[in-house]
Amino acid sequence: MIDWGAFIVVAVVSIGSAAAIVALFACGLRLLAVEPRRGAMSALAYVCFAVAALGALYGVYLIIPSLHPA
Amino acid sequence: MDLTFIVVLVIVLAIFFDFTNGFHDTANAMATPIATGALRPRVAVAVAAVLNLAGAFLSTTVASTISGGIIKEGPGGVDITPAMIFAGLIGAVVWNLVTWLRGLPSSSSHALFGGLIGAALVGAGLGSVDFGVVLSKVVFPALLAPLVAGVAGFVATRLAYRITRRPVEKNRRAGFRVGQIFTSSMVALAHGTNDAQKTMGVITLALIAGGFLRTGSAPPFWVIIICACAIAAGTYTGGWRIIQTLGGGLTDIKATQGFSAEAATAATVLASSHLGFALSTTQVASGSIIGAGLGRRGGSIQWGTAGKIVIAWFITLPAAAAVGAVCELIAQFGVVGLALEVVLGLGVIVGIFVISRRRPGSSNALEVDVAMNSVRTRSERRDAEKKRSEEILATRRRLSDESSLFGYGQDVR
Repeated sequence: MIDWGAFIVVAVVSIGSAAAIVALFACGLRLLAVEPRRGAMSALAYVCFAVAALGALYGVYLIIPSLHPA
Repeated sequence: MDLTFIVVLVIVLAIFFDFTNGFHDTANAMATPIATGALRPRVAVAVAAVLNLAGAFLSTTVASTISGGIIKEGPGGVDITPAMIFAGLIGAVVWNLVTWLRGLPSSSSHALFGGLIGAALVGAGLGSVDFGVVLSKVVFPALLAPLVAGVAGFVATRLAYRITRRPVEKNRRAGFRVGQIFTSSMVALAHGTNDAQKTMGVITLALIAGGFLRTGSAPPFWVIIICACAIAAGTYTGGWRIIQTLGGGLTDIKATQGFSAEAATAATVLASSHLGFALSTTQVASGSIIGAGLGRRGGSIQWGTAGKIVIAWFITLPAAAAVGAVCELIAQFGVVGLALEVVLGLGVIVGIFVISRRRPGSSNALEVDVAMNSVRTRSERRDAEKKRSEEILATRRRLSDESSLFGYGQDVR
């Protein structure tokens, strides 16, 4: 009656992707806060933000049905 | 009875349902950014409204069944008449307004399902409802949605605090406010693609049932425009009572938690709608806010409020069903019944608006103002108080200046 397999997949993917995006963004913020400021650290921080943004863009891709075959 | 007339009634009521759906669900996306001060309240609801509008246009493939299999429709099952849809919509609208009045976030789709179930039980008998589907599509998801979202919100919040922790220097967590704007926007967009579609489906199916469209046709363009505008207008109106509950009533939200909670909501909603286990956005949003509240050390949850919300989830379906059933019962008296139904429905809607204006403020404008003030951050509240006392001082000065006819108040300046 209830599709436990699908539920477990949904649970794992939800928790995993939320944790991944938040961790990336938090790493970016933490790297920006390193003192004294160094170029390498800041660059790494922006890489973190960029990857998190890519994750968000993937979300937008999933939201808009015309972008992907149903 | 004239079928065209009922179909028109159904369309009007469906649009109003879409509107209530909008303001009922603004809080899912925008309660946390408003609470943490990432977005000003008016800006937040405007952003949500625009994203809902866009979302409604982006996704217009409507479901082929109105209730998603809960009612045995179509060949071999019962015939859902426009009158039944009308009764169901009254149930859904009334329950949406009641929960809004109490500031409780409850699922609008469950209210719609409930209303339709009630109408179908009375109109077509006990055999018309598939209770197995009710259990697997409504009851279990209501238990599991907050669980998944809660764990996701909890883990995300813990990680966020852990990573940005700096034992010696000052923490730099203001950046989470910026991130929050994006995660909340995602939730608003996802809402627009999901929920406007539901009303489009109801209107399209009513048109099909009335014989104005062929079976299986897509929603006409005017339906898409009207639904998109109705949900955007509803969202912009802002269900401040529910925003207050989710933004401050459950837990005191900080920017880090807000970011994590909305990320968890967006992730869970997207995963559930694409991996085949539908969860209610409202329940997911509440769950991740609770998770985020538990994830911050020193954070506490108002379990009384949380309990009320959970109770509202579980009585949403039966309550809307009861209203829908009563309406369907009345509707069986033909034209008189239908007229009575319209009058009663309007009466209840107007009545709820009157009550909402009476309490806690005396006017709607005041109520909105109170709600907006109460969801401000601490520093903003302090600033507002300072500004207000300055204004009072300035007013006193001005008044004394004006009454300086006899030399009073000259020294005040």
